[in-house]
Amino acid sequence: MGVVTDKLPGALEKVPGGNVLVTRFDEIINWARANSLWPLTFGTSCCAIEMLMATGGPRHDLARFGAEVARPSPRQADLLILAGTIVKRMAPRLRTLYEQMAEPRYVIATGACTISGGPFIYHSYTTVRGADEIIPVDVYVPGCPPRPEQLFHGLLTLQKMIKEGETIREPGVRRKPVISALPEGVTLEDIQGQMKELLVKENVVDVQHAVDKLKWPSGLNERSSGKSDANESGAGDGT
Amino acid sequence: MTIEVSSLKELVEQASGDDRSPDTQEYFVNMGPQHPSTHGVLRLVLKLDGERVLRCIPVLGYIHRSIEKISEHMNYMNCVHLTDRMDYLSSIMNNWAVSKAVEEAAGIEVNSRIQYIRTIFAELERIQSHQLWWGVLGMDLGAFTPFLYGIRDREVLNDVMEETVGARLTMNYVLPGGLMADIHPNFVHRVKEFIKYFRPKLDEYDDLLTNNVIIQERLRNVGVLSAQTAVQYGATGPVLRGSGVAFDLRKDHPYGVYDQADFEVPVGTVGDSWDRYWVRVEEMRQSLNIVEQLLDNIPPGDFLVKKLNSKIKIPEGRYYSQLETARGILGVFIASDKKDEPYRMHYRSPNFNNLWCLEPMIKGDYIASLIGAMSSLDLVIPDIDR
Repeated sequence: MGVVTDKLPGALEKVPGGNVLVTRFDEIINWARANSLWPLTFGTSCCAIEMLMATGGPRHDLARFGAEVARPSPRQADLLILAGTIVKRMAPRLRTLYEQMAEPRYVIATGACTISGGPFIYHSYTTVRGADEIIPVDVYVPGCPPRPEQLFHGLLTLQKMIKEGETIREPGVRRKPVISALPEGVTLEDIQGQMKELLVKENVVDVQHAVDKLKWPSGLNERSSGKSDANESGAGDGT
Repeated sequence: MTIEVSSLKELVEQASGDDRSPDTQEYFVNMGPQHPSTHGVLRLVLKLDGERVLRCIPVLGYIHRSIEKISEHMNYMNCVHLTDRMDYLSSIMNNWAVSKAVEEAAGIEVNSRIQYIRTIFAELERIQSHQLWWGVLGMDLGAFTPFLYGIRDREVLNDVMEETVGARLTMNYVLPGGLMADIHPNFVHRVKEFIKYFRPKLDEYDDLLTNNVIIQERLRNVGVLSAQTAVQYGATGPVLRGSGVAFDLRKDHPYGVYDQADFEVPVGTVGDSWDRYWVRVEEMRQSLNIVEQLLDNIPPGDFLVKKLNSKIKIPEGRYYSQLETARGILGVFIASDKKDEPYRMHYRSPNFNNLWCLEPMIKGDYIASLIGAMSSLDLVIPDIDR
């Protein structure tokens, strides 16, 4: 119980006979969406080895981000990781796959080819110059191919976007696409250290901060004035 | 022997005409281009009778990036970097193939240190490629565990190579006239450690998959490719050797410093999927032997013969050079018109020829066997389409 209440966006209310978890439905839905992304296995060329195979492997382990359930069918997936060049013959198929995915759907474009055409940008008569000519992209992850750590960085960026993103009252609200590039001059150890930090920071929700940020009805705010005590003592009790 | 060229439409019409029995109805199924077990964007048009495969027609072009055309606008130093993206699992060998062709044509002699390092890296990458194939074969047949084992060991080797090369997959290490950089001071030590680490793991692979009854049942006598058919279709590499033809460029026409290493060429007997599997697992052992023999004898010298500018000019004419990648013979054809850019650049990719062996292998067999047989071919689709 402690684990769940620590990570859920919301606050514990102390009432006689136990505690009550108070949260907003939008927040909890976005929290759930961000932590259970199901990617579609769509790899066309080189990036597929790094993005889908190396990340699925035991060292990098995509399962840590709750995104390891790779689905071969677009109808069961909500994250499209574009790994590899898109050529003109594949473009209509990619569009079809994207349209078959259920809402809400998210797209990460990995590698130079899906961002701009990459090494095949000049003199090529088949390459599509960037996948965003066909489908909307949420996060760009540059590299040729990007390291698995870079994909994780992109995935964390996407999770952040989802958590701050659309609500039930305003469906379809998307943020502008972002480039998620690792800074220059970092070593493998740095990347892994940063990854660990980011992972802890992104996946642990600060309850106090979340409560302060929320706009509660005035009555609720008064009642939960002694909130910090309630959290610490209430986490251990059963609700 | 005559070669018939026909369009897909003709093939489909032709295929729907014959083999019509009164009891069952034949139908067509599209496998791909988005399919988890085709390793990319290969589309197979299957004509099925129940679960039996009557025809299997590959349809290409879903990842055709016109690498050959782009090469015509680039100088010879730049052409090399596109080849990593063809067969990305043997990128150093692809670089080497182009470099070898350019060096032979332009008359550039490289010293023996370069040849030693190139050979060692090629063999390490062959191991790396087969590790991935081994894991993916298990995954295609429904076992997820081998994938985790294969990737685990691949990452260990990846670290060793990354220290020198600086990249994980598209390495860009070999240039016409030498190498991008010298080997890292730790390289020899770490490769020795890897060999010590990986030999017991190969026995583990045998325990997990090779001696597994289910895998044996799925692979033995499935997708039999006779030696004659393999030669006719131009199959090379482990596919050809699995069919019992002991042809390996490393042994028969040695390049690099393969003539100084003592190794065996594993050859299958029946030509089924199992033989191709066994040949690749044995090749990993032989590659370890080659690396072990060459590692201590790397002579001193420069890693680049001279400071080459980008304007390598090749005399007018046509040049062809080939070497053995992890999947077979990669040939590079250059037509030069005395400029620093090729007039025409053509690659004879091993996967293209290996792919067409699929139909004679699988005709009349179950659709489930098709997956295992295709996995044993170890196809890389971007190398087919280029």
